[in-house]
Amino acid sequence: MAVRVSSDFIAAIFVGAVLGWGVDQIAGTEPLGFIVLLLLGFAAGVLNVMRTLGLVAQAPSAQARAAPPPAAVSSAGNEARRDDTEEKGREGR
Amino acid sequence: MANDPIKQFEISTIVPIEIANLDLSFTNSSLFMVATTAAVSAFLVLSTKGRGLVPGRWQAAAEMSYEFVAGMLRDAAGTQGMRFFPLVFSLFMFILFANMFGMFPYFFTVTSHIIVTFALAMLVIGTVVIYGFMKHGLGFLKLFVPEGVPGYLVPLVVVIEVISFLSRPLSLSVRLFANMLAGHITLKVFAGFVVSLSGLGFVGIVGSILPLIMTVAITALEFLVAFLQAYVFAVLTCMYLNDALHPSH
Repeated sequence: MAVRVSSDFIAAIFVGAVLGWGVDQIAGTEPLGFIVLLLLGFAAGVLNVMRTLGLVAQAPSAQARAAPPPAAVSSAGNEARRDDTEEKGREGR
Repeated sequence: MANDPIKQFEISTIVPIEIANLDLSFTNSSLFMVATTAAVSAFLVLSTKGRGLVPGRWQAAAEMSYEFVAGMLRDAAGTQGMRFFPLVFSLFMFILFANMFGMFPYFFTVTSHIIVTFALAMLVIGTVVIYGFMKHGLGFLKLFVPEGVPGYLVPLVVVIEVISFLSRPLSLSVRLFANMLAGHITLKVFAGFVVSLSGLGFVGIVGSILPLIMTVAITALEFLVAFLQAYVFAVLTCMYLNDALHPSH
């Protein structure tokens, strides 16, 4: 579990840094892209870790599967379910 | 040196092949990949040869591995996901057998090289991206826009989601590679303690009992890790394939 969480975290930071560096090389915005995307990489890393640990709702698609098809459930029930998942997501962010 | 813990990961050329300045030599790593594939094929072909209605021991093992992976894929990606069964099953069996081969003394562990695990992870993510765009067109990009996010936050969230998506192949490969590398090094270091301590006379031999117990315990743990990492890789593959099948919500 420890390796799983740390690899999720570090991978996102690394990808953010590489993306930022690449943007800088192409656009010539020397340190700016690197700084911004590195920080966003940290954010993505935290998101990854929270998803791995199940503290935040899974990637959007997983929610869709968890909810029953709309035809089978009344609109009120559907509404409540969506509120529920939304709140879970907000609490994490 | 006899107990250099890194030596076991060295690549050595068996049959040198060079085409257009590219080093395509057949190495010990290639040899064990071929051996892994051959062992998986032999296991599945030979065990299902009888096709008994009441399975024998080997056939039961083969059916169990099928049921295991099929159940995993169905849970994660639904019945639609079953079209990816050949991919997931091949990946699972390859990694499992490669990890288990690594547990034999003097054998090479294919999955302890990051380039191998990274290639496997890129295969998975490449499948997800290509199939996602083929099936949903640009609708696949909805994967990066979560529902219920206020408008002014969308650009920020999209960038974070994209980075999170791109980090998947990296974390998938690093996880498998790091587990195998760290496990084998630990095993070798503790086994090395036994050898060097027992060279110190009576006190050393008594003292070497502790690392010996550790070595035995870690060997058992490594068998668990070998299976667990193959399982984790396959489960995450299923989850990512699910994204390709149902990107929107």
